[in-house]
Amino acid sequence: MNLFGMLELSGMALIAERQRAEVVASNMANAETTRTLEGGPYQRRLVVFRSRRLPQFPALLAGVRQNVGQGVRVDQVVRDATNPVRRYEPGHPDADAQGYVGYPAINPVDEMTDLLGAVRAYELNASAVQASKMMIQQALEILR
Amino acid sequence: MIDTPMLQTLAHFLDVTSFRHTLITSNMANIDTPGYRTRDINFLQELHRAATRVEWALYSPVTRQVQGLVERPDGNNVSLERESLLLAEVQLRFRTAVELVRSEFRQLSAAINEGK
Repeated sequence: MNLFGMLELSGMALIAERQRAEVVASNMANAETTRTLEGGPYQRRLVVFRSRRLPQFPALLAGVRQNVGQGVRVDQVVRDATNPVRRYEPGHPDADAQGYVGYPAINPVDEMTDLLGAVRAYELNASAVQASKMMIQQALEILR
Repeated sequence: MIDTPMLQTLAHFLDVTSFRHTLITSNMANIDTPGYRTRDINFLQELHRAATRVEWALYSPVTRQVQGLVERPDGNNVSLERESLLLAEVQLRFRTAVELVRSEFRQLSAAINEGK
């Protein structure tokens, strides 16, 4: 059985959760952005996770496609298609003919909740890395 | 090659335990994946299968979905508590087996040295 494969599994989860936290941070940073490269207000981004099968090295050596662990990765980053929130600000340079400005539909509470979720999941997987490391070290103890 | 029945059993035990650890790690990695179902093995059954198999590399454990877990709206049913507890348990089991392997080797070494 491949002990080192577990580290890779947890590592994938760490990367995915960090990407999620980055996307959330970007959402929070752009909560009031009315100008983007594509034009119009910033659109909220959402990550979509997908589990990915990880072939195990010893099985590959033996020519068997044995899938044991399922890693995870960010499959895509989608845009939230919710319409922009319209606020009446006639003096704003991006205001339309009626004096309304379209702001991104971002709720800071939602984003904070998502961020906390990402942090907790990151911690969980970091503790799994610790556990795997200890198991590998203990296995090495046999050699002493 | 020095091999005792005890060492063989322990090797199988370590194999199945580390496999279970991989599954727990995989469950933890997918705690936010929509539609992911918690997977686990039947430990005793797998231990028996590992002990009775013929070829080393061809050992592929049977995983099953765990029933009776609370499912979230996104179809994911990974339970943080279950996985954390199992992780601790599996780690200790692994440790126990490693210590037993070491003591087995110490005994062998003692048997060799006493003959000098």
